[in-house]
Amino acid sequence: MTGTHAPASLTIEDPLLEGQQSLTEVGSSIGGYVLDQKKQPPQWWFFFAIGFVLMTVLLYSIAYLFYMGVGIWGLNVPVAWGFAIINFVWWIGIGHAGTLISAILLLLHQKWRTSINRFSETMTIFAVMCAGMFPLIHMGRPWFFYWLYPFPNNMGVWPQFRSPLVWDVFAVTTYFTVSLVFWYIGLLPDFAFLRDRAKLKLQKIIYGVLSLGWRGSAIHWRRHEKVYLMLAGLGTPLVFSVHTVVSFDFAVAIVPLWHATIFPPFFVAGAIFSGFAMVIVLAIPLRKYYPSVANYITRKHLDYSAQVMFGTGMLVCFGYLCEIWFAWYSHSLYERQTTWQRMFGPYGWSYWILIFCNFVVPQLLWSRKIRHSDLWLMLISLVVLVGMWFERYVIVITLTREYIPAMWGNYAPTIWDWATMIGSLGLFTVLFCLFLRFLPMISMTEMRELLPKHEGGADGHSILENAP
Amino acid sequence: MADNTTTAVNLELWRSPEEWADTPEFRQMLTQEFPDDVEVWTDPVSRRHFLSIMGASLALAGVNGCSPRPMSPQKILPYTTQPQGMVLGVPNQFSSAITLNGVAAGVRVTSHEGRPTKIEGNPLHPGSLGSTDVFSQAAILELYDPDRSQALLHVGAPSSWDIATSTFKGDLEKLKAGKPANIRILSGTVTSPTLAEQIGKFSTRYGAKWIQYEPISRDDVSAGARLAFGTDLTPIYDFTKADIVVALDSDFQTAGPGAVRYSRDFASRRKIREAKSDGVSATEMSRLYSVEPMLTSTGAVADHRLPLKAIDIENFTRALAKKLDVAGTPAASALSEYATKWLDGLAKDLESRKGKSIVVAGDHQPAAVHALVHAINAHLGNLGQTVSLIEPIEAKPSEQLKDLAGLVNEMGEGKVDLLFIIESNPVFDAPVELKFAEALDKVGQRVHLGLYQDETAARCHWHINAAHTLETWGDARAYDGTVTIQQPGIAPLYDGHSALELFTNLSAAPGQDVQSALGVLKEYWAAKAGASDFELFWFEAVEKGVVPNTAAKKVDRNAVAGEWAKSAGPAVTSTGTEICFRADPTIYDGRFANLGWLQELPKPVSKICWENAALMSPKMAERLGIHAWPRWTAGERGRMEIEYVELTFKGRKLKVAAWPVPGHVDDSITLYTGYGRTKSGRVGNGTGYNAYELRTSDAFYSAGGLEIKKLDETLNVACTQAHHSMEGRKPVRITNARTMAEMKIKVAEGDEKAKETRKKAKAAFLKAMEPPVAAGEYELIKANVPGPHNNAIQPKKDDHDHKHDHDHDEEHHHAHDPRVVPLTMYPAMNNEGRRWAMAIDLSACTGCNVCMIACQAENNIPVIGKFEVTRGREMHWIRVDRYQSGAPDDAEAIATYFQPVPCQQCEKAPCEIVCPVGATVHSTDGLNDMVYNRCVGTRYCSNNCPYKVRRFNFLTYSDYITQSLKLGRNPEVTVRTRGVMEKCTYCVQRIRSAEIVAEREWSTRKKDPSGRPLIADGEIITACQAACPSQAIVFGDLSDTVTERTVINPATGAEHKVIGSEVNRWKTEPTNYALLAELNTMPRTTYLATVRNPNPDMPSKGA
Repeated sequence: MTGTHAPASLTIEDPLLEGQQSLTEVGSSIGGYVLDQKKQPPQWWFFFAIGFVLMTVLLYSIAYLFYMGVGIWGLNVPVAWGFAIINFVWWIGIGHAGTLISAILLLLHQKWRTSINRFSETMTIFAVMCAGMFPLIHMGRPWFFYWLYPFPNNMGVWPQFRSPLVWDVFAVTTYFTVSLVFWYIGLLPDFAFLRDRAKLKLQKIIYGVLSLGWRGSAIHWRRHEKVYLMLAGLGTPLVFSVHTVVSFDFAVAIVPLWHATIFPPFFVAGAIFSGFAMVIVLAIPLRKYYPSVANYITRKHLDYSAQVMFGTGMLVCFGYLCEIWFAWYSHSLYERQTTWQRMFGPYGWSYWILIFCNFVVPQLLWSRKIRHSDLWLMLISLVVLVGMWFERYVIVITLTREYIPAMWGNYAPTIWDWATMIGSLGLFTVLFCLFLRFLPMISMTEMRELLPKHEGGADGHSILENAP
Repeated sequence: MADNTTTAVNLELWRSPEEWADTPEFRQMLTQEFPDDVEVWTDPVSRRHFLSIMGASLALAGVNGCSPRPMSPQKILPYTTQPQGMVLGVPNQFSSAITLNGVAAGVRVTSHEGRPTKIEGNPLHPGSLGSTDVFSQAAILELYDPDRSQALLHVGAPSSWDIATSTFKGDLEKLKAGKPANIRILSGTVTSPTLAEQIGKFSTRYGAKWIQYEPISRDDVSAGARLAFGTDLTPIYDFTKADIVVALDSDFQTAGPGAVRYSRDFASRRKIREAKSDGVSATEMSRLYSVEPMLTSTGAVADHRLPLKAIDIENFTRALAKKLDVAGTPAASALSEYATKWLDGLAKDLESRKGKSIVVAGDHQPAAVHALVHAINAHLGNLGQTVSLIEPIEAKPSEQLKDLAGLVNEMGEGKVDLLFIIESNPVFDAPVELKFAEALDKVGQRVHLGLYQDETAARCHWHINAAHTLETWGDARAYDGTVTIQQPGIAPLYDGHSALELFTNLSAAPGQDVQSALGVLKEYWAAKAGASDFELFWFEAVEKGVVPNTAAKKVDRNAVAGEWAKSAGPAVTSTGTEICFRADPTIYDGRFANLGWLQELPKPVSKICWENAALMSPKMAERLGIHAWPRWTAGERGRMEIEYVELTFKGRKLKVAAWPVPGHVDDSITLYTGYGRTKSGRVGNGTGYNAYELRTSDAFYSAGGLEIKKLDETLNVACTQAHHSMEGRKPVRITNARTMAEMKIKVAEGDEKAKETRKKAKAAFLKAMEPPVAAGEYELIKANVPGPHNNAIQPKKDDHDHKHDHDHDEEHHHAHDPRVVPLTMYPAMNNEGRRWAMAIDLSACTGCNVCMIACQAENNIPVIGKFEVTRGREMHWIRVDRYQSGAPDDAEAIATYFQPVPCQQCEKAPCEIVCPVGATVHSTDGLNDMVYNRCVGTRYCSNNCPYKVRRFNFLTYSDYITQSLKLGRNPEVTVRTRGVMEKCTYCVQRIRSAEIVAEREWSTRKKDPSGRPLIADGEIITACQAACPSQAIVFGDLSDTVTERTVINPATGAEHKVIGSEVNRWKTEPTNYALLAELNTMPRTTYLATVRNPNPDMPSKGA
């Protein structure tokens, strides 16, 4: 509505690209940051510095953890899983939006995805890295992590395939691999662009190697598009399978309120919910600090993301209602009492934080005005991220009070729990800053496709679609 | 020597061999033994290197000393000829005795290659019958405690036994010459006849006086007997014969001499067995009444419990005696309304069972109560029936407190020239007003013999490092006087010496050959035995652990002199707050303060550990403004935040943690002794608060006049279970004897009333026992599953078609009895081979925690310390849950239940399916195995265990460094490393050893139904089962239908022949249930419901 460069007649739909765009403009405004033609904004240094400090905290706390053992965390016997698993599920949830945006929206021909897919895919990869770290370090003897893989050995010992933790390993590993390959394939033409434009020898060599001999021939394009589409097809079920499998960690257990069939869809919706919140949290500063980027990531993108976030968020809240209903309908003393404990027990406060963050606050998104306000969107998304973290907290904390009242216990994180968790945020920040610095944050290829034909683009159609 | 008294005596442990090496004795030894190396030692740089080698060999000295018999130091070499009676890898067992307050517990010590590793009860010993208490179990840790005194010290510097004894002898001779010599011996209670004889010899020789003092003395018991009978007699009880037991502030099941035996005897009348089996029928169940201030194990399992202040118990006893018309009872003042009603019911019940009841008063009740109780027992005809009077078992009965006061007086006046303090710690535990420490400083020469360099050792000139009970020969009497020869299991690790050796040495004339302790012992018993073949007599006595015909003489006394009662004043009734000093249930009077096993063992009712606290009623805590219940940050298990209180008693102050105990009487504080040690060792120092700082001679056990103030300061208390309520769930199922009896009444034709009664009882029982656990419980299923019922779902008694080689007897159920087959839709698997299983009778469990410590000793379970316990990480494989019902602020309404929970060994184990690496798997015989070296520590199994019995090594809890502790470990159980899950294995090492033996004896053994060599019932006994004083735990093969045994009904004495394993028989009881059966985990460990036997005439507030 308030857009200055859009004529009043075009307010029905906000544009996907803003400003005067051309093939060269796209290349220089995105690639420029990578090839030192444009300076990183000072805020980059700010975030990098903070991230670096926190990453150091992470490294230190992991070193101490390996030296001492998981006893440095607040774990105990009724609550044998703590922050590590909460953080794992939280990060893996965040890692969902990337592939969803790239793969599913690609298959659904949602053109608006092109501006945000690169950084959200990157977000996915880094989030899965952060996530994957947690189950590894939470093990009592992490040096034997490879025992969870079915590798041939002369003892003839295999993993125990009935355990959801084994499925977890497969699911997360597969998801990470496919996401990484998908991301890399998408990057290929951009690498070639960078190789061609690079002035420094080192840049030429590195991007040259990374571009795998891309020459931009029609055959290359065709194959690229095909592979990309196939990987999108592969990635799509993975979006659902990963969090479904992660939810089995809980749903397969007999702990009251964990043992529920609703967990897989509920977890997937929750993952997309938090994933899109993270996309918004990352997109808003990008728009702000990289002025030219604001032309590619427009209000429209934010609005769509907010709508997806809101929709999945309400699905999640429906899940909360279902849980309560199940407990009542089950006629099980344990389910009912545990639900009651969850709401009004010693950790009841966390449940109400969760409801506030995931249900109450997102209601603001009904308003288009709020969806179009950077400040509001940023705040709501942050609240949603906190809320989704608390969702996992509430689930894990269920362990404090389950079957045997004599073993009802408590859980309190220690400074090391916090250090590891905040440190993982640092790791993510550092990785993301490095990404902004060394890789094109928006797909130049796809931006160019978005350009109208008279500007040398493809009117938003992929080459494959135009091919005979 | 005398001039040393003014010097500050510093007897700290020497910290390193360097320090030790600086003594003149060591230098002298060095020049003699290693003349070439002297220079190395005097050069500080190379000395260090040499010392490191020396240090290593010192550490090995312990190993070298490992020998089934004391022997001279030898090189470690593999045996070329195997020593007789020892097969490498096969542990030996030898009989011995472990004493507490002088009273022996008969034990069998398991020894691996000469290293004692585990204590079991001696089945032949009357005080044990195969069970133990917590203290005996911990003796292993005491033996290997690295903080034990390892050197004989003179004024802080290492000396030697020869120097010490020759110095003493010289001094003694000198003192004897000059007149008058004042030589005193202060020891704990001694029952050892041989030691008493040697002390006697010594005393005669030098005119010494012998004083005994125990901080937990039984002075009042003997004083009470003197009042009642005019002479020193000790009552002992036969609980198997008692229909009614009244415990007046008595915790006879867990405290005091004979508790282990009493617990078993009492429980034998509480275990209900419908099948003619090893128990009683519902109508024969005994009934327990308890009157006490603090909830004890005995009070907790009582059918009726009246919370009453300790000082009001005398009045109550008078009222009871009056009610029963005991002649010459002094007047009693009025009781509360509830107590009066209670008393009426009790008196009526007692009168109905004359000669078949026991009234027992606690050791800490005044003499008047004991005298009254004797009068009541005499009046009821119990004397000679259920209560026997025996001659005192103490070698020299004495009034300990009076004697101690006399001694301190003499000491204070500087009259004592030489004082031997033998294995006691009066500087720490003597009544505070005596100022023992100050008086001690005025003694010319002070000698301390003890296991630790404790508070008393620090103030003595000489400290002789004592040999541990398991390192030395001796003898001691059981609660009934039976003598046990205390046989050493290992040569003294640190060259310690026993009191017997000391006095044998000192009583010998100068120049005379000194006999060994064994020599003296044999000489004494050779004279006593009068056997023609003494060597045979001796061999048998040592082997069996019981010297025949040594039980104390029973004295037949029926009349009770009532003279004292006439002069008795009005009963003391209390106003204001009283304080009760009681022996700590785990570290006792403080002597066990350095034993981590006992420190970490939760107190039976309060479940706190590593600490004592001012135990009080929740009502009182509320009145004081103490936050009686944990705050949300503190949670319910592990860390509990609570305020300090300041106790002011007779002008002395003590800051101590407050702790509310539902069931504790109002206006009363119970404070356990033994904490607040400063020189107990690294483990015990600084734990808890020193109750002795308030304890005076005239308020030895309980007294009024305590002031209490809340302090605005909180602390964290380690508590393994603060939650009391069962939350409407039924982890413990409860029923009563009456319902069980009415359920089985025979109804005559047309007797509608009886029919109705039976129907009602049946319904009540079924309600208590739901949900069902086994396929055989058709009645329960019918009662709980709505809809029409088809008899087809009820499995037939023999739902199988294989051939039998044995008869089907109606009386004896079969292994395929559907009552031992879990309830499942799937075809039952593996019901043919061995099926290990456990059953725990909750009616018998007193919550004494012996199972926990026995398990800890057997399975190398680490101690983790208070901080880790506050984080909810204690490692005990078996825990005892405590539940309470009733309003917490009404002590009279509280009912308490205990439930030991080991791994339930589920047939459908939730832990197994979630382990990603298959580190926990099922064995064919039904064990839920834990493969430590496969575990990667995801802890998923713990989350998925509904019983929460899995324990995780969050940090490196096992001590891999301390050499001496390694000696005490069970070599058959892995020491678990950090990051690994562990849990109860049903003592799998014991199962497998028995299987190996059985397989080896294949040809000679009877075969079990599956064709394998039969492992007879009782051949495998788990550690918890063996130790359990009340025999509440049974373990065995569920498929065993071959074992035959004759059992005796303790109530009637009738004998029955039973077939099948005991666990099989227990599991077919109607009270058998599985914990969380509704989850269908099909546990192999099941419980027999708590059966209480309330008297319908009694007022009742509780459940």
